[in-house]
Amino acid sequence: MTENNNKIPFNEDNYTHNINRNNERKLDRRGFMKTLVGAAGVFAISSLPWGATAAKELMGLGDKEYPHKKITDLKSIGVGDAVDFAFPGEHDSAILIRLSDEKFVAYQNACTHLRCPVFWDKKEEEMICPCHHGKFDVQTGSPIAGPPRRPLPEIQVKVDKGAVYAVRVKRYET
Amino acid sequence: MKREYISVAILCAILMLNIIFTQYMVHQYFYEHYANTIISGAMNILLFPAAIFVYKRDQKMQKGMKSHE
Repeated sequence: MTENNNKIPFNEDNYTHNINRNNERKLDRRGFMKTLVGAAGVFAISSLPWGATAAKELMGLGDKEYPHKKITDLKSIGVGDAVDFAFPGEHDSAILIRLSDEKFVAYQNACTHLRCPVFWDKKEEEMICPCHHGKFDVQTGSPIAGPPRRPLPEIQVKVDKGAVYAVRVKRYET
Repeated sequence: MKREYISVAILCAILMLNIIFTQYMVHQYFYEHYANTIISGAMNILLFPAAIFVYKRDQKMQKGMKSHE
């Protein structure tokens, strides 16, 4: 066995000597440039939906009034309680909080950091995102602690005949 | 810099601009500055034909250099 050392390839006890790896991952100048152009194309295509939705918002389609949606009965939500609902779409989860007899606030409760659901902490009187401990002011929806930097979208609510209705999603004031 | 690497440098710059515009576009979208979103998105789209143009021009230049040799 010792006389086999330093002789490559060994006879019979070398199983890899016939694998030729030369030029296996060759990337020449032209191939690199093709990759760059392809990446530019991917960027161009991926910016299309952003432009389209922005144009839609600019044309005022985003500010429309949705059909009023009943969230809950007045009787079933006490002062300081919160109710989850979805508005305007069935996947846009939102939260309604009753601050006093008269005052209701509602926000779309996807955290503006990474869209975890924000919940209402009754004892601390603030809205908390459990993922990274982002906190939001319950009066305005603006972020007061943690990673989120943008306020939660507010939903305007209306009390009518003993029930609470969601009316529309308020735009950010910029 | 060697002349044949100028195109590569330009393409790298285009890719960098792509990244910057995309970042700007997404941020402006969430800040609801929609006009800025559309502008940076359009810049992103315009950079693609620019990249193709640079690539084609480079191919032509390479051919020219080879035929002169």
